[in-house]
Amino acid sequence: MKKTCIFQDTEKTENTTDLLEAAERMYGRGQFESHAVLLADSFDPLMGSFHHIIRVARGLVDSYDPRGICDILENLHKENRFDSILIPGTSLGQMIAPRLAKRLGTGLAAGVTDIKKNTDYIEIIRPACAGKILESIVHKGNGPMMMSIRPNAFEYTPGEPLQTVVSTYTEPVNSQSAVKRLHVKKNRQTCDIRDSEVLIAGGGGVKDIFPELYRLADALKGTVAASRKLVDQGIAPRSIQVGQSGKTVSPRLYMALGIHGSMQHLAGLRHIASLISINTAANAPICRLSDIVVQGDARQFIDRLMKKIAAYRSKGNEELT
Amino acid sequence: MKIICVVKFVPDVDSLVCDVETAAMAGTDFRMILNPDDVCAVAFALGVKASSPDCHVEVVSMGPLSVRPHMEDLLRLAVDRGTLISDPVFDGSDTLVTSAVLGRYIATRPFDCLLTGSRSLDGGSAHVPAQLAETLGLDQMLGIIRIDPQQFDSTRAVFDVEDENTVTTYEMAMPGVLGVTRQSGYKLPYVTLTNMRRDVSDELAVITNQDLGFSETEIGPAGSLTKVVKTYPRTYEKKARHTVGNDEEGISYVFNFLKEKGFL
Repeated sequence: MKKTCIFQDTEKTENTTDLLEAAERMYGRGQFESHAVLLADSFDPLMGSFHHIIRVARGLVDSYDPRGICDILENLHKENRFDSILIPGTSLGQMIAPRLAKRLGTGLAAGVTDIKKNTDYIEIIRPACAGKILESIVHKGNGPMMMSIRPNAFEYTPGEPLQTVVSTYTEPVNSQSAVKRLHVKKNRQTCDIRDSEVLIAGGGGVKDIFPELYRLADALKGTVAASRKLVDQGIAPRSIQVGQSGKTVSPRLYMALGIHGSMQHLAGLRHIASLISINTAANAPICRLSDIVVQGDARQFIDRLMKKIAAYRSKGNEELT
Repeated sequence: MKIICVVKFVPDVDSLVCDVETAAMAGTDFRMILNPDDVCAVAFALGVKASSPDCHVEVVSMGPLSVRPHMEDLLRLAVDRGTLISDPVFDGSDTLVTSAVLGRYIATRPFDCLLTGSRSLDGGSAHVPAQLAETLGLDQMLGIIRIDPQQFDSTRAVFDVEDENTVTTYEMAMPGVLGVTRQSGYKLPYVTLTNMRRDVSDELAVITNQDLGFSETEIGPAGSLTKVVKTYPRTYEKKARHTVGNDEEGISYVFNFLKEKGFL
């Protein structure tokens, strides 16, 4: 039976199970043994989904120390001889995966979004050329197949609960990391756009009225997102960027205001139930994927739709927001 | 202080046109640019040099000879030394091989800090800085939005990293590898009129595999442990879009759609 090692999604522990879907695409459901490696104390969300949960003993390694974490994963690989090692493509994962691949002398596919199993080989699929195309990669050599998985690219459907065996990793870490965390400042609190069911997204066409999008987002109980153009111009924070170099999102409603819809942006859209685009150019690429295209100015659209919503709510159809 | 900036020249993806049927790039003369995160790394290094003239900045890149003019442009901005690692035998190398090649050269150079970008615009893999750090036995951090110039010297660097909800300040003992992001906002200086036409060819070294001595099986596709077997276009489900105007009728259509779908 194949063995796969999955490192914890340190940004959202519960999302660690999504990497099981990647393993299932490689080996088939029930055809592999899964090992989750966790730095977090809480492992409840993963119980029943993995065959093994390996908790790293508290204080053994700093959660921001890729070298120390690589020591642990390297040792675990020596003990278990994994067939594959999957790392979430978080900031930490992006520092761990390349290092570990180097140590193990194995190839690494980054930002994987799909996997196809063929008769005699596994195709690893990832966006290339800033998301404009997809490329299929095959693994060479004898090392474990290593991948970093793009967050939100896979979604795991739980099957019959497993009898999870929980163990604690206690071997001392040899790596001498010379990084110290001095202090942590809370950023302004924003909702993670990956969790939002309604996204009001702005692109270059709304650069002068970007704050207006928050009014509409509030009215629709949604969250504001942005394209790379606005992030590069410093108008929107990177944490709300959708696209190849931003996040992958799957909201029920995606309202795209002034977004052209470059391939890089579309690469961040996955399973969008309803898409409404507001654009002065009705032939912009994003319009082809839209349920409704409103041809016109975004500011006027927001004003008019807000008025309509306000009138509807003031009639008592819903509590005033 | 000695800083080496490890940079990559990438196709300007905004100028690339992809044939949606074949996934082939239309034309071959697309514009190459310095990777935007790497621009910030070089800009920060030059900022340090501007305030401490003793600082020595070297820029190292691996790529085709066609990026030579771009390297020369950096030399005209007060970069002290440029090194282009270029040899057709390196073509087709994956990141593991690339980091080994860069590592072999950099290990021969004196440095206190390696500055890189965080992610590349084209592949976006962020592999090479981490693998380079592993090759050289150094710490590495990516996602840096600010390096404190007052606490940046040959012994340590203090810098901020931004993630979803926090800005974290770290201190790393030098030498180490610092990956800067575009969010840092570090900008390259303008070239002076005097420097604009300066002949900098003597300041640019071109390194080949003759200098580095890799065997054929260690580099290029033979040495790479991943192989791209095909590329193809992304496909998206086209919808039966309904186009409306930005008028009363159009707004009502959107409003009713939102109501019907339960968003209101």
